[in-house]
Amino acid sequence: MVQFWRLFRRNRSAVLGLVILGLVILMAATAHLIFPDDPFRLAGRSMSPPGENGFLLGSDSLGRDVAAGIAHGAKTSLLIGLMATLVAVGLGTLMGGLAGYYGGLIDDILMRVTEMFQTIPSFVFAILLVAIMKPSIESIVIAIAVVSWPAVARLVRGEFLSLRGREFVQACHTLGMSDARIILREILPNCLSPIIVIGSLMVATAILIESGLAFLGLGDPNIMSWGFQIGAGRTLLRSAWWVCTFPGIAILITVLAINLVGEGLNDALNPRLRERT
Amino acid sequence: MKLMHFIGGATFAATMALGGLAPLAAKDGGTLVMLVQPEPPSLASYLSTSGPIGLVAPKIYEGLLDYDNDLQAIPSLAESWDVSEDGKTVTFNLQKGVKWHDGEDFTSEDVQFTVMELLSKIHPRGPNSFREVESIDTPDDHTAVFNLKNPAPYMMRALSGYESPMVPKHLLEGKDYRSADLVNNPVGTGPFTFVEWKKGQYIRLDKNENYWQEGLPKLDRIVGRFIPDASTRTAAMENGEVHYGAYGAIPNIDVVRLREMDSIGVTTDGYAMINPVSLIEFNTTKPPFDNPKVRQAISMVLDRQFLIDNIWFGYGNPATSALSSSFAATGLYAEGLPNYPGKPNLDAAKKLLDEAGLKADGDGERASITLDLIPYGEDWRRAGEYMKQALGDVGIDIELRYEDVPTWLKRIYADYDFSMNVNYFYQLPDPVLGVHRHYGTDQIRQGTHFVNSSRYSNEDLDALLAKGAQEPDAKKRSEYYAEIQNILANDLPVANLFEMKFLTVFNSKLKDHDTSGLGAYGSFNKAYFEE
Repeated sequence: MVQFWRLFRRNRSAVLGLVILGLVILMAATAHLIFPDDPFRLAGRSMSPPGENGFLLGSDSLGRDVAAGIAHGAKTSLLIGLMATLVAVGLGTLMGGLAGYYGGLIDDILMRVTEMFQTIPSFVFAILLVAIMKPSIESIVIAIAVVSWPAVARLVRGEFLSLRGREFVQACHTLGMSDARIILREILPNCLSPIIVIGSLMVATAILIESGLAFLGLGDPNIMSWGFQIGAGRTLLRSAWWVCTFPGIAILITVLAINLVGEGLNDALNPRLRERT
Repeated sequence: MKLMHFIGGATFAATMALGGLAPLAAKDGGTLVMLVQPEPPSLASYLSTSGPIGLVAPKIYEGLLDYDNDLQAIPSLAESWDVSEDGKTVTFNLQKGVKWHDGEDFTSEDVQFTVMELLSKIHPRGPNSFREVESIDTPDDHTAVFNLKNPAPYMMRALSGYESPMVPKHLLEGKDYRSADLVNNPVGTGPFTFVEWKKGQYIRLDKNENYWQEGLPKLDRIVGRFIPDASTRTAAMENGEVHYGAYGAIPNIDVVRLREMDSIGVTTDGYAMINPVSLIEFNTTKPPFDNPKVRQAISMVLDRQFLIDNIWFGYGNPATSALSSSFAATGLYAEGLPNYPGKPNLDAAKKLLDEAGLKADGDGERASITLDLIPYGEDWRRAGEYMKQALGDVGIDIELRYEDVPTWLKRIYADYDFSMNVNYFYQLPDPVLGVHRHYGTDQIRQGTHFVNSSRYSNEDLDALLAKGAQEPDAKKRSEYYAEIQNILANDLPVANLFEMKFLTVFNSKLKDHDTSGLGAYGSFNKAYFEE
């Protein structure tokens, strides 16, 4: 662990990313303390510029506080990002692991299925899924997971393919270990690093997809999110720039921070990069 | 301008600009470029009431009557008309010397054919407008006598070139009305003749040189352009490339900016015949909205002016009755009704909810309800978000539901699987045409869109609606409607929100485009450009 932190620390921008991400998480966690009211609350004069009428970042067309929306929206964005990633990584690891370990017919079938999903443009597919299921937080998580898992599956399959022929795995076979035990106890821990890296980057993508969906009006109408704020403010861009600018900056910073952290994890966890330095 | 046939998009726009500007000095002539959004499915206004058809077809086809800005009937193809004492015989004396664009004479045979064979059979609203018409006699070429089963005063408001276009019998008789050549190559009697339709680009109409009204039309040409992107439409209007856009072709948020420009005019006139009103439909068969007190409470809470000011940029009037205040012109609108407060009255609402048995629990919550929203754009979502907040203040927890159009229509009008639904309806120029469909027991038509989805049924009201429809005497009729509105304000199966105002944006050089009560759905026969 100390070793890991030493390696991670070497990447300055990754540390910066971690700090920013920490702040965003802190903001999400304390949103209900700083802004105890519902972020949808009509808090005052509509379309107040930043700093006026008690609105730090201005208010939107209905008089909702943009700052409160950003704080509460952080919770939604992070939650969706995390949930969708967990589901996608779980599904992807399962499919990729089975395909890579068993090979042959199972591999063929699972990979054709994966390719089928990969041929559909992911954002268009996500729009379709949400539109069919009706917009809600569950359907958005499912949609993002469904379009994200194939990448994980391909990665895990590759790792399993290269690991399954190694001596330590063959030794396990000779010892008479069950397949499940070999997969879970022996091979999986050895390909955890790339999974963690791809997972961390996937959180960022998931936040972007959620924002995109909400921007197009396919967000959960009962939950405040950054994409919702931008979607609701885009028609006002020429008369009230602050309504969609600040949530946009929030998305930019958060996604950037997560990417930096992901990069840092890659540097720290990738043995090949480790040896090079 | 003869080159017109050979040139494409960009050159076309440039030529249009020149063609539009050059004759400006003259009072007559010039090319009007109007936005038609979206591209119409056909030009058969006798088959479909689709909005974009209504923008183009009334320049080509005319009706028996036209309507001025006070909704009073004025002569069009009928130079005069007479309603018999008992209201059951209506005689139209037709204009003489009117010719179809192909040179044939327009006669009473055409009127008989259009109404009996087309409008009352295959037009979407025609079967309702002409439901009392038993037969039409044609004693001579210039007289058409409508024989009615019962008096139908509302029919006299449905005879415009938009609602009931007269079409040539000789081009349709014996053919399949839906696939005849006339569907896309209209031949009418109107001020402009159809020339060409470049799919995806424009429709071109030229001046009818043989128009029966002396000295009209004043314009040489009308071009209807299709521009799918809203901001491109705004830019085209801003730089004078197009002269006219109606029915929200230019979004309200841009209108707020454009109306400051000298070269651009904005009006809310010309929608009186359409009469759009936004509203909430309640499911009166299911708790909690089976109790009128809960419906009243909702109406008491909502700040209608807030919706208009903050979401529709001030364009609209708060509703005060089941009928739009524009019916004041015909004496049918009633004032001072209960449950339509000028300002929200939360205390009264809470009291009503208490009386209905919806008491606040420990968290102040009384009920949890899903609110469906008409999926026609962002404005309606904002309205839903406002209502969620406003109703939350009296302890009604709202969950918003926003679906795609077919799912929503099915939910509301086929499955009745909803509690309350935000929507808007065209009330049209007579309550029989646009308002009765909300409330009559006979209008509970499962699967038919935009009718009585509240499934409200009240025998007394049904009787009054029937009387109101048939009463020829204006004074008695307004008494019936006063009573109808009183019942509806108390029972409130539908709570009207506000009278919507669509916007027409036009180049300020364009004059007299608004002489008809039909606005953009008018014939434009008097429109001209001023220097």
